[in-house]
Amino acid sequence: MSGVRPTGDWNGTGLAHEAFAFGTDQELVDRVVPFAVEGLSRGEPVLVVAGERVRTLLAEELGPDVARLAAFTAAETWWQGGHRTLHAYDRDLRALHAVAPHWRLAAEPTWLGRDDGREWSRFEAVANRCYASLPYYSLCLHDRRRLPASVLDAVARTHPLTWGGSAPVAEPAYEDPERFLRSVHPAWVPRPARATVAALTTPREARRAVSAAALDWWPARTGEVVQAAHELVVNALRVAAFAEVSSWTDGCTLVVEVADSGPGLPDETLGYVPPPDGPDGARGMWLAWSLADDAAVDSHPAGTAIRLFFHR
Amino acid sequence: MTAPRKLDAPTGLRPGDHVCWTFADTADFSAAVLPFLDEGRRRGEQLLLIGSSRPELLRILAPLPGRDDLLASGQLQVQSTAGMYASGGTLLPTEQVAAYRSLVGEALDRGRTGLRVAADVTPLARPGPDARRQLHVYEQLADAMMGTVAMTALCLYDSSLGAEVLGPVALLHPDQHSGEQEPLAHLSGRNPSLSLHGEVDVTQADGLFRALVDVAGGTPGEVVLELSDLRFLDVAGARALARAADVLRGSGVQLRLVRVPRVAARCLGLFGLSGGDTVLT
Repeated sequence: MSGVRPTGDWNGTGLAHEAFAFGTDQELVDRVVPFAVEGLSRGEPVLVVAGERVRTLLAEELGPDVARLAAFTAAETWWQGGHRTLHAYDRDLRALHAVAPHWRLAAEPTWLGRDDGREWSRFEAVANRCYASLPYYSLCLHDRRRLPASVLDAVARTHPLTWGGSAPVAEPAYEDPERFLRSVHPAWVPRPARATVAALTTPREARRAVSAAALDWWPARTGEVVQAAHELVVNALRVAAFAEVSSWTDGCTLVVEVADSGPGLPDETLGYVPPPDGPDGARGMWLAWSLADDAAVDSHPAGTAIRLFFHR
Repeated sequence: MTAPRKLDAPTGLRPGDHVCWTFADTADFSAAVLPFLDEGRRRGEQLLLIGSSRPELLRILAPLPGRDDLLASGQLQVQSTAGMYASGGTLLPTEQVAAYRSLVGEALDRGRTGLRVAADVTPLARPGPDARRQLHVYEQLADAMMGTVAMTALCLYDSSLGAEVLGPVALLHPDQHSGEQEPLAHLSGRNPSLSLHGEVDVTQADGLFRALVDVAGGTPGEVVLELSDLRFLDVAGARALARAADVLRGSGVQLRLVRVPRVAARCLGLFGLSGGDTVLT
């Protein structure tokens, strides 16, 4: 084990984000135990959030040092959907940031094994940008035996670091967050001819129009659809004189599109960035994305179109 | 008490109705005031018209049926805005409301069915933020009083005052008329606590912040804002409530949001307003 540098050149001033995929229990232990021990020896808060198997293995290896971890938590209860899980995670990070100069986290997002947990890769991608200045090492653990190849592929594309055997190294498959999001969002197909289309100049008119469409589709979700579309319309009307609001159903799915002729969206990741603490700062896209089941963005210098997808 | 009502005509009004009516010019002003007063005449109410000056108002009243008899009998009175309000230079909200309350009593004593007032209060909104704060406090107290006495009021504001001034003022009225614009929200003082009705979106957010800070900021302590009748709240509206709560806290006022509906909880949660110093019931 000599010569192993569990965090490589990380100096505690920003985010280091590594994906470690293990195929055997021993691989896991050899990676995580030195990582935790180094953190404890440096006096850093060391947090572990993992599934039961991983926790059991680490508890055996770390022995009494487990009591020195700042957190040793079950991952199974963490999943509440992507936005809610990230919001909770974000609050924990900010609380930690207020008291610790730097810290490290070994986390196993066990929910990537569930169909409805796959969207977590989007948050992993965006974290590289929105948490870039937070001073922590995030070691994300993935069990090769449990996760399908498509999930492991997304893991590689959303983590800039991987394990090189004795130190973290750059992950060659890593992608820019916006590029990753575009690849996993629903394909941008032409708007169908049956779509209802209206050019609107006030948010109130847009709420009435979207409400009518949602009521025709599934009244139970009207409130969510209206709220989400409203925030997109507000954004559109900030940069353009009118917003083009259209909607259609595709099987059981309601699609709402809000398009404007503004200068294009400066940051396509905003729907996955948790809101800040104070009253300032944007929240509309976060809210819209969290209410919808999926979203897609088509942004260029001549305008932006955003689609929200709601499943019945 | 429900969402604000959009008034297309200044008629069909009954005691308790409190209207914010914006006008563009004298013709617009007359078109609002004359049917309003004529309806009061037919209902046997005491009528009071308040505006820039007596001669000007008498000119405006020329087409009113029975104008001279109404003036001679005292059923119609005319006063200047400066004479009625702010006679000492500043509007004193509590005193002003008390004055109206006794005018209602006098009207009833004289056998009238109530008091109907049309008042051009534009001059009270012009001077600056301090005067407008007094105006907001006054409109809220007046609205609360009108829920309990036989008074009908048409508050006339010149539309040239602009959205920044008219936004908070309109919110403090249950009945609103502002051209083609549909009123969305009403901040009411007619219940035991303040209450917010209708839809609060980005177009109402600045007005709500101003109105709420002004009417709730008087004395230190807890102010309860009831939200059960809120039908829509967006991020901008929730931000306005969060900012208002921050500002009020600075002057020793704890804003407590109660009976928060689901539709509002979503956005309030984004500002940490669904727990802590607020209570969800």
